[in-house]
Amino acid sequence: MGQLLVNGLTTGLILALPALALALSFSVLRFANYAIGSYVTVGAFVTWWANVALALPFWVAAIIGSVAVASLAVSIDALVYRHMRERSGLTLLVASMGVAIALENVVRLFAGNSPRSFDVPVARPQRFFDIRVNQEQLIILITVLGALILVWLVFRFTRLGRAMRAVADNAALASVRGIARGRVIAVVWALSGGLSALAGVLIGLDTSIEPQMGWNYLLPIFTAAILGGIASPMAAVAGALVLGMAEEVSTLFLPPHYRMIVAFVIMAALLMLRPWGLFGTKWVQR
Amino acid sequence: MIPYLIATLSVVVIFTLAGLALNLQWGMGGLVNFGLFGFYMLGAYICGLLVVRWGLNPLVAMTLAILTTAAISALVSLISIRLSEDYLAIVTLGFAECIRLFISYEDWLTFGTLGVSGITRPFAGLVSAQWSDLAFIILAISALCVVYVVLSLVSASPFGRLMRATRDDPDIVGSLGRSVLTIRLRSFALGGAILGLAGSLHAFYYGYIDPTQFTPIITAYAFMAVVVGGRGSNPGVLLAAFVLVFVLEGSRFLVDYVPGLDGATLASLRLIAVGTALVVLLIIKPAGFGRERPTVRAGSDLKN
Repeated sequence: MGQLLVNGLTTGLILALPALALALSFSVLRFANYAIGSYVTVGAFVTWWANVALALPFWVAAIIGSVAVASLAVSIDALVYRHMRERSGLTLLVASMGVAIALENVVRLFAGNSPRSFDVPVARPQRFFDIRVNQEQLIILITVLGALILVWLVFRFTRLGRAMRAVADNAALASVRGIARGRVIAVVWALSGGLSALAGVLIGLDTSIEPQMGWNYLLPIFTAAILGGIASPMAAVAGALVLGMAEEVSTLFLPPHYRMIVAFVIMAALLMLRPWGLFGTKWVQR
Repeated sequence: MIPYLIATLSVVVIFTLAGLALNLQWGMGGLVNFGLFGFYMLGAYICGLLVVRWGLNPLVAMTLAILTTAAISALVSLISIRLSEDYLAIVTLGFAECIRLFISYEDWLTFGTLGVSGITRPFAGLVSAQWSDLAFIILAISALCVVYVVLSLVSASPFGRLMRATRDDPDIVGSLGRSVLTIRLRSFALGGAILGLAGSLHAFYYGYIDPTQFTPIITAYAFMAVVVGGRGSNPGVLLAAFVLVFVLEGSRFLVDYVPGLDGATLASLRLIAVGTALVVLLIIKPAGFGRERPTVRAGSDLKN
């Protein structure tokens, strides 16, 4: 049981980053970015390239990957989404799917279809009271907690964070009060891209790196964000942890390849019963 | 040459049906169906399994596949139908991925990754093997004609106007006393029926189906057809789907002429082109090249 909790926590922590990234961009821009899965993939591959091809230390490579995808997300916004700001959310949705398809296949074009892994030393798993915790899980725990605390500090205590919350709350009012919406949006995309890339690195550490990886995480990411209440970024983290636990516990009575179905059933039940999420306020977009 | 043309035409017709279904759901109804390939797969598998496992007459199996896919589409859309349309996109996508998983792993029912083989075509007993492809294409084209006429009628009917109105502003439709929920449910189910038909034809055409044939790429192509053809325009989507498949299928031959180009590279280049074109068109030509049927006719008194 303890082992199950540790594994569930790991799954949840990995999901927390992209779920936060998705909710962050949704709360400010009011559209669900389907390209988030491809940001995860690109982040993992850039990091792999820096780590294996350039032989840089793993953590340096991870920073390079995150910065690369953060700038990628900002440029995609400038190239694509900015021209559609005033259109309906549905148009943006379809455009983001186009971005996702293009990016995933750019990765395929350069890296091929075979799975890869990072160049990190293999370490023996540690044991705490009969619970096996391997080194990857410790790295995941520390990285995710660090990233979350950083985002929370930015969100809560800086002018920028206040500006972000203001734009998320009421964009028109915020711009009347002199908040530069464009800059806030750029920062949100940078954060969103960086967090997704980091998630890609951690997924690659936990399992393997392949072009399909981000796509496979799309449904769990959305489910986690909806669980938290998609417009409230920090609640998405809680949603991710709940989903991670649920997926892990489900392996007791379902084969592990059906985790995606667990995520889907949870999402369906939630949308019918509590569409504003487990933790979100009773706000809902009809 | 003739067999090749017939083969390409078969693919075109099946694909056009998927494009028309999406045009009904998304183009006219504003319901984003990212899980299109899942409903298509469902149609193919229901039809194929009914023929192979239970030995049903292919036409009966196809009818059942159409009805079941329509019913399941309606049920899936019910999950999020009370919420804004963005939720439907992820619900359909999730459903499609789950269907693919289910079909890949439940061998007892679906033969899993081995696939279903030996799906007989309709009228198999009546025509000799060498005319089988021709018989199939005649069936497929007649099906396309029927669907096209039905969609044109729907588009011109009061229900078509209601659909477009719901897409543009559900609140107004609701305040005029129409049930937005029923309109969305019906349009999604009708689209599902067409996808069931397209899937069944896919199963008949190849005679063998396995889970790897059904990927999100099908969804991407369908969106491409609707965006190029113009959302809501049936003739536009029809034409766009024809052109698109000929171009995409035709690009296969590039492998023979461009040195150093292999199938995998070409496949990713093709999808990069599709994704980029989708984005570029949505930015510079969001209405597409076709034209939606105008709600108010020129010269009528309502025009101001």
